[in-house]
Amino acid sequence: MTRSPIGRLIAATCAAFWLQAGVVSAQQAAPVVAAASDLQFAVSEIAAAFQAETGMSVRLSMGSTGNFARQIREGAPFQIFMAADEQFIADLHAEGFTRDAGDLYALGRVVIMVPNGSALTPDGQLDHLAEMLAAGDINRFAIANPDHAPYGMRAREALVHRGIWDDLQPVLVQGENVSQAAQFALSGNADGGILAYSLALAPQIGPRGTYALIPDDWHAPLRQRMVLLNDAGPVAQAFYDYMMQPAAREIMERYGFTLPEGE
Amino acid sequence: MALNVMAKAAGPIALDVAFQVAPGELLALVGHSGSGKTTVLRTIAGLWRPDVARVSVDGETWLDTAAGLCVAPHRRRVGIVFQNYALFPHMTAAQNVMAAMDRQNRQEAARILDLVNLHGLEDRKPAQLSGGQQQRVAVARALARRPQALLLDEPFSAVDGATREKLYAEIIALRAHLAMPVVLVTHDMNEAQMLADRMAVMAQGSLVHDGTTAEVMGNPDALHALGIREAGAMLLARVAEHLPDGLSRLETTSGSLFLPMVAAAPGVQVRVRIMAHDVILSRDAPVGLSAQNILAARITRMVAGTGPGVMVHLAVGEGEILARITRRAADQMGLQTGQHVHAILKSMSVARDHVAQTRTGA
Amino acid sequence: MDWSALFLSLRLAGWTVVILLPVSILMGRFLAHNRFRGKGVLEALIILPLVLPPTVLGFYLLVAFGRSSPIGQIWQDIFGQQLVFSFQGLVVASVIFNLPFAIQPAQRGFEGVAPEVREAAACCGLSPLRSLWKVELPLAWPGLMTAMVLTFAHTLGEFGIVLMVGGAIPGETKTIAISIYDSVQGFDDRGAAMMSAVLVAISLFAIAVTYALSARVGRRLS
Repeated sequence: MTRSPIGRLIAATCAAFWLQAGVVSAQQAAPVVAAASDLQFAVSEIAAAFQAETGMSVRLSMGSTGNFARQIREGAPFQIFMAADEQFIADLHAEGFTRDAGDLYALGRVVIMVPNGSALTPDGQLDHLAEMLAAGDINRFAIANPDHAPYGMRAREALVHRGIWDDLQPVLVQGENVSQAAQFALSGNADGGILAYSLALAPQIGPRGTYALIPDDWHAPLRQRMVLLNDAGPVAQAFYDYMMQPAAREIMERYGFTLPEGE
Repeated sequence: MALNVMAKAAGPIALDVAFQVAPGELLALVGHSGSGKTTVLRTIAGLWRPDVARVSVDGETWLDTAAGLCVAPHRRRVGIVFQNYALFPHMTAAQNVMAAMDRQNRQEAARILDLVNLHGLEDRKPAQLSGGQQQRVAVARALARRPQALLLDEPFSAVDGATREKLYAEIIALRAHLAMPVVLVTHDMNEAQMLADRMAVMAQGSLVHDGTTAEVMGNPDALHALGIREAGAMLLARVAEHLPDGLSRLETTSGSLFLPMVAAAPGVQVRVRIMAHDVILSRDAPVGLSAQNILAARITRMVAGTGPGVMVHLAVGEGEILARITRRAADQMGLQTGQHVHAILKSMSVARDHVAQTRTGA
Repeated sequence: MDWSALFLSLRLAGWTVVILLPVSILMGRFLAHNRFRGKGVLEALIILPLVLPPTVLGFYLLVAFGRSSPIGQIWQDIFGQQLVFSFQGLVVASVIFNLPFAIQPAQRGFEGVAPEVREAAACCGLSPLRSLWKVELPLAWPGLMTAMVLTFAHTLGEFGIVLMVGGAIPGETKTIAISIYDSVQGFDDRGAAMMSAVLVAISLFAIAVTYALSARVGRRLS
């Protein structure tokens, strides 16, 4: 069979991707950072700056904070965990999965955001939302899953505070994490959603809609904490430190995060 | 050395047989469908294991249930030709033959294919061969195994009459080259009588009779199992001349026989199958009959059947034929053993496929 | 275009096929030629991954191989890292959930070989192993090919189980299917479109190769 041209082609393809295996293994030295989805664009930029400056690289995994916490308990090989809420970090620390109690790296905000052309207009008091909801004009409204995503929990708190949580139930769609919620909210299939401020400011997302900040006393604060996990190596340590440096903090500010002062 | 077979099974396929086949001998296992013939063949090949059985060939035991010995089929030197040939569809004829060899040898494969008259077709796949050609490949493959026993399972049932005649002649010619015991399973009595030296008659899994074809034909139980109209005898004759009116004249040890044109050259010895129910007997030499064949015969035995018939065994020169007449006629004529009578046979009653060359042909 | 994820997926599919090929030959042949009590149960177990939701399978795999399971702990002791969230864990999961794709078509392929042909092979002096190699495999080849292509394509596309058992770690367990999902979530429609197109092209290529090989086998038989 190997004498046929097809046989040779298959053999060549096999050889190619087996060789590639070698290349990939070399990359596997870079530590994996588990980052909450609201950091999607911000931490990508920071990681790129980190590589440019130090020549070291990290691999990024995005997802919901709660999901990562579960995976870490299952033994997932992350070296840094950047959560959207510090309670998850505290729990992991208590169970011995982390090196220490970690550091507060940012305070987050939620916004209401609507896609271009939506009948809903964003206002921080959620008045228009309540109005359209009462009139039965809301088809779909997206938030992150409040069970395990901090931004979803805050969205729920804000909606409860405004008194429209129960009425919103029939039209609510939940994203796995706040990125997916943004995807639902802005793809044109929903009237809008409550998302992370950092996502609304991202160049990839901003032009797709309009937003308004929701008062931060409507919900518990988004105290975003990060921590080095037990297996963290020197590169992870370097990146962790880099996060607290001016270059990184400037990027975070551009994405709407407030930086905690000396806590 | 001989092939010895003994097999007994209770069910669902009942079996009770024991027989022996000498080297170079062809034994026909005959009987109706469902009589267990194929099962016996499969037992010899190792494809089936009855409750109690013993199979040995050439002094080597292949199966002995009492001793707990059962040699796997691929370890038995057996050549088997299946009813549907079972050729390997993805291999050419030559490759099929070589598959059975211990050491692949293309020249040897070509030689065997030549032996079965398939010269030039070595590189064809089974799908490109006719039924008769496929059958020959199957035979060649069985022979390539250098078997200690050759088994043929109704090998001619899937080909048409004309091809079958040709194949009979080829098998008879081939036997000159075969030194091993051969077992042929068939339900066609003509085939059995034409090709076999001995016959074993089976019915419902049991062996009813076992002996030369002549002996079997003389056995009422055997005939009952086979069907009384199958009774016949083989007579040796030599082709004397072919006549311009479409008949051939043959010489027997008891006179001339005129038959429709025989496909053999003058001087060649043939065997003629004469059906018992085609033979008329007469005390006196008959005159004015249309029948051209009148042979002098002597009654050697008379066996009454259960019905109205009686089987008369006649010595004709050095050979023997059978005549089946009514008991009434036998009584009327006062026939007795030892009497000299005339056996009358219509030329037209001998079918073309009832004449075959002998093995040696000389 | 996430090349790392693409090659990861190809490697995963490749290893799955390599491991399942002997399994599919031996199991396929065994099931084709044998009748025994409990055969129906065995066949049902093999088909099970086909009908179970991927999340159910993923859950059970986590329970069976996770950190707190005996297998997971043995693995940790031997290799110093977790079986879950690793490429090896993905291979294990992939082999299990591809069993129906690897075995069923192979079984059909072997069933298609006439019993008489196999008997003839034995009577030609071919041992069971040589009979498999010289007679059965050449005849059952189309079934085996189908099995391997289905396995390969199915692995490339598997998402739910890979996500649950693998954790989407870049370069380790982030397959191209997950990468596409992430791109969509990250509003990178262009990246998602490119990777999807590449996957479709690879799948079509794999199918075309199967048909070509199958046709060759068909020609060899006629």
